[in-house]
Amino acid sequence: MINSTSINKLKTGVPLFIIFLFFGCSNPYKNITKTEFAAAKISEIPYSLAKSEKTLIYKTSIDFYQRNISGLLIIKKTDKQNYRIALTTQFGLKVFDFALKEGNLEVVYCIEYLNKNSLISTFEDDFKLLLMQNKFDRIYTLQNVEEKYKAWGFQSEKMSYYYLMNKENNQIEKIVQRKRNAKKISVSLYDYRNNLPSSIQLEHHNIKLKMNFKRIQ
Amino acid sequence: MNKIIVTLLCFFFFSGVIKAQEENFAKVSDIKKAKTNLAQLTQKISTIKSQFIQEKHLSFLTENIISKGEFYFKNPGFLRWEYTEPFEYLIVLTDKNIFIKDEKNISSFDTESNKMFSEINNIMTGTIQGNIFNDNERFTVEYFENNQQYLLKLVPKMPKMKSMLQSIHIFIDKSDLSVARIKMTESSDDYTSITFIDRKLNTTIDHDKFDIHK
Repeated sequence: MINSTSINKLKTGVPLFIIFLFFGCSNPYKNITKTEFAAAKISEIPYSLAKSEKTLIYKTSIDFYQRNISGLLIIKKTDKQNYRIALTTQFGLKVFDFALKEGNLEVVYCIEYLNKNSLISTFEDDFKLLLMQNKFDRIYTLQNVEEKYKAWGFQSEKMSYYYLMNKENNQIEKIVQRKRNAKKISVSLYDYRNNLPSSIQLEHHNIKLKMNFKRIQ
Repeated sequence: MNKIIVTLLCFFFFSGVIKAQEENFAKVSDIKKAKTNLAQLTQKISTIKSQFIQEKHLSFLTENIISKGEFYFKNPGFLRWEYTEPFEYLIVLTDKNIFIKDEKNISSFDTESNKMFSEINNIMTGTIQGNIFNDNERFTVEYFENNQQYLLKLVPKMPKMKSMLQSIHIFIDKSDLSVARIKMTESSDDYTSITFIDRKLNTTIDHDKFDIHK
């Protein structure tokens, strides 16, 4: 039931909503002081997931609109900037097998119903972000993004990628990809053990796609 | 250092054994007799309870990915795959439905909507029941044997399945005519091998095992 009080609430609520919308869309890192960071020093960014040469196995669940795909995600760094990323079902059959070579994704194998250009390029965005393989024009550091974080921003013509490190433990805990001012993908990395995140959540903000990873090896 | 050498030796030794195992098989000369023997699979086996070890081989990895668990089969087409390592995961297949319990979440599909699962279901039940060997429409079957085992090499005929699987090798122990190992090779030579150990045939299996809610 709508009464006058609720209409008044609505009246004050609408501008608040507009303000929220305005700030919600603006880039929170835009006005923060940036310091140029030499691309040659990229290996100094303490992002262990991208650096590890171990075979990483994550129990994975992907929710894509109404579909759910689950299985084991295997990530293997095969060379300096080369990775293999494969998803298998519980029974072992491969769902996809990608080679990420210097920032370009090649499909080694993909099950027919997922082998669509739009979906493959979405996976490409995700894994490039997750493994810090995006091409960029410059890198800069951002101070005091939030009290506990130090951030590195990668800037390309259309996109910005932010890797946020918790200053207390020097671990990357958040990753954000922005297209101009809109948040496109965000990643949270939790519960580091042996210097690798035990749990990762990746979420798209413009499409209904969520991925959950739990480390088993 | 010693540990590495031992691991390497084990790797070469066992991979050698596996290779030799497959190479020792000769084409079955009397296919009729083999078929008659295998037909007993259908007639004699009403239940199977077994441990299983699943090995996933990916060409870009030096080590295989190992999963373990318990397997239950009950005629006509009830299967329970209970993974216990590296994490708990339960799959129950009945003639019409597939149920999955992952942590506390239970999901179900009908076999029609999930073709891949239904194919695996068909392969498993078809192998155990023996009718997959006569499925000339979907597979070409070649028969091999050594002293201990029959080896059936199945090659899918249907294009969709062919794009997923290059071949299915089924190893059947002659002693009890039950499936000892299934090796599914994908189009890229990556494979999944499931070895059934400590197999118990025709013991009583409570039907609750095929009710995921219990």
